Amino acid sequence: MFIYYIKLACLSLWQTRSLSFLAVLIIGVGISATMTTYTINYMMTKDPLPAKSERVFLVRLNNWSPEASYRNRAEERPPTYISVQDSLNLMTQNKAKGHIPIAGFKDMLKLPEQSAIDAEVSVVRATTRDFFSTFDVPFLYGSSWPQSSDTTGEQVVVISKALNLSLFSGENSIGRTLMLGENQFTVVGVLDDWHLLPRFYGDSMRAFQPPREIFVPFQTQINLELWTSNLQSYECWKEPENASVAALWSSECIWVFFWVELASADNKSEYLDFLDSYVREQQALGRFQRPILNQLQTGADYLQERRAYSRDSEIAVWLAGCFLALCLLNAMSIIMTKFQGKTAEVALRRAVGASSADLVQQYALETGIIGLLGGMLGLVLTQVCLYVSSQLYTHLSKDIMNMSMALMLATVILSIVSSLIFGLLPILRAIGVQPAEQLKSL
Amino acid sequence: MLRMNKLAKTYFTDTIKTQALRPFDLEVKQGEFIAVVGPSGSGKTTFLNITGLLEDASEGEYWLDGVDVCTLSDKQKSRLRNEKIGFVFQSFNLIPELNIFDNVEMPLRYRKLSSAERKKRVEHALAQVGLHSRQTHYPSQLSGGQQQRVAIARALAGSPAFLLADEPTGNLDSTMADGVMSLLKEINAAGTTIIMVTHDLEQATQASRIVEVKDGVICEVDKQTQAIA
Ligand SMILES: Nc1ncnc2c1ncn2[C@@H]1O[C@H](COP(=O)(O)OP(=O)(O)OP(=O)(O)O)[C@@H](O)[C@H]1O
Ligand SMILES: [Mg+2]
Repeated sequence: MFIYYIKLACLSLWQTRSLSFLAVLIIGVGISATMTTYTINYMMTKDPLPAKSERVFLVRLNNWSPEASYRNRAEERPPTYISVQDSLNLMTQNKAKGHIPIAGFKDMLKLPEQSAIDAEVSVVRATTRDFFSTFDVPFLYGSSWPQSSDTTGEQVVVISKALNLSLFSGENSIGRTLMLGENQFTVVGVLDDWHLLPRFYGDSMRAFQPPREIFVPFQTQINLELWTSNLQSYECWKEPENASVAALWSSECIWVFFWVELASADNKSEYLDFLDSYVREQQALGRFQRPILNQLQTGADYLQERRAYSRDSEIAVWLAGCFLALCLLNAMSIIMTKFQGKTAEVALRRAVGASSADLVQQYALETGIIGLLGGMLGLVLTQVCLYVSSQLYTHLSKDIMNMSMALMLATVILSIVSSLIFGLLPILRAIGVQPAEQLKSL
Repeated sequence: MLRMNKLAKTYFTDTIKTQALRPFDLEVKQGEFIAVVGPSGSGKTTFLNITGLLEDASEGEYWLDGVDVCTLSDKQKSRLRNEKIGFVFQSFNLIPELNIFDNVEMPLRYRKLSSAERKKRVEHALAQVGLHSRQTHYPSQLSGGQQQRVAIARALAGSPAFLLADEPTGNLDSTMADGVMSLLKEINAAGTTIIMVTHDLEQATQASRIVEVKDGVICEVDKQTQAIA
């Protein structure tokens, strides 16, 4: 029976091909508008670390002047970053499963054999090996640096796939060296393609931009005293002792985003207790003269607080949804017209013994096929729209404009289901004809 | 086989009430060939539609094969139409985008039959009306008489107990009409009960009984008297 209905549907679609094509086109356009905006919004707001989001936290300590609260807020909240000395202390105390300081610097990058003119300005991420395990970063060659590199600050790097391609033409470059300014680094790992969206761990303004291409141990940045003052925001409530980088390192200036990965979400209060005792220890040494307001914040909460998610994209999804409804109403009137030409056939089929259910099935299948074609067209149009958006918004990560398999499936299903819902009225009207009256007038 | 008690039909439109059929009694036995005659607008088609379960009567009882039709649901009536009744309409009512085979097969599609069984029945029905060689033609490629024979084949394919025909020869010239008429007589001879509306008195006299409808009043006509008149 199903095959019979498919055959009838195809015949009928062909019979009314211009109307059918119009319906498919309108549905396709509506679906693609909705799915394009939805995909972008979905990729921007999705949980970047679904398995770990409840146990990876930003550490916030209330390190600020005794005279005023941080940013003079009425409701006091700790800064989002901490000082170098606290970062080092927390790592030494080693109470979490993973410690991920987010620091960095800018320097001239070249191969040892290249001349200074060929060097290019590069932004380097300084962190620990935990960065790669906690954020599930995949490696193409090699691996993250060993624990010893983190403790002693060895001159090793992990580079991105793209950088490996441009520096070493994509070969396995483990053991090769490169120059960052005056310092020589040895490649220990090459990353594979890596998408982390939203990229919550750093500056919230850059949450939708691609990650950096080159990674070195935090301790190495500290040891080599590599500091770029105009790279990231840093705030000091108390001037460093002098202008040297060493003085900056030991100052109260805050600029390191410090993340911890706990073994489980249950360890959160335990770790907070540890932070409290740490701050009390420091208070005894004359630091932290403000109320203790330690905080462990999830990536999503952090981005929320920093307003990284724009309301606009959510509104755009609603608007696109309304547009889809409009398109579907249009398609509905087209399907209505299409089925109006079928009264004679309906009457005849009723007369020879088709039940209403039989006819509903027949026409629902035809409407479903229109929905399916509309969905497939919508999918193609969505890909085009996403491609165009990724070309227009080059500062945003390309991965935002990528549809997952599940989203693609959802697109087609949305199209079929909404076509069926909006096609129901035309179908019921078409099969509602009184066969006797129809046949009498013939 | 078929029994109607005080059956009547009244149409209500916005302003007027039309008594299409006044209360009447009628009984039809298996194997009969009944001709329904009467002037235009007298209620013949209405009578046929009620007989064929396409319309409900306003009052009265209608028993078909011992079943009280008024108690049936829409679905059950569809079943009954599909299995017991074959329709031939005044205008042939073939589906233009389906070929002859598919048109004849249509009623069988609403039964649970294997495709081999369907094919056998369609071919048999088409052979009966002499159009076996035209299976893959489309309705527009056939003459009016041939189209009406296809419509008869469609009615026959389900091997119905009743064949209801509404002026089956109305749109045909006399030679073609004669062909259709003799086909119907053959079918009747093979055991199918036929109720046929016609304007043609000569055709009516070939039936076993004649029923006349006049302004909604149904009455049986004595064949001899009718022939003289
Ligand atoms: N659906 C309807 N609503 C209202 N009145 C109707 C309806 N169908 C038929 N009638 C009326 O019922 C009467 C009988 O109509 P019917 O079609 O049965 O006539 P008929 O004998 O078949 O005529 P003809 O020989 O022209 O086909 C007519 O007066 C017609 O106007
Ligand atoms: Mg009539």
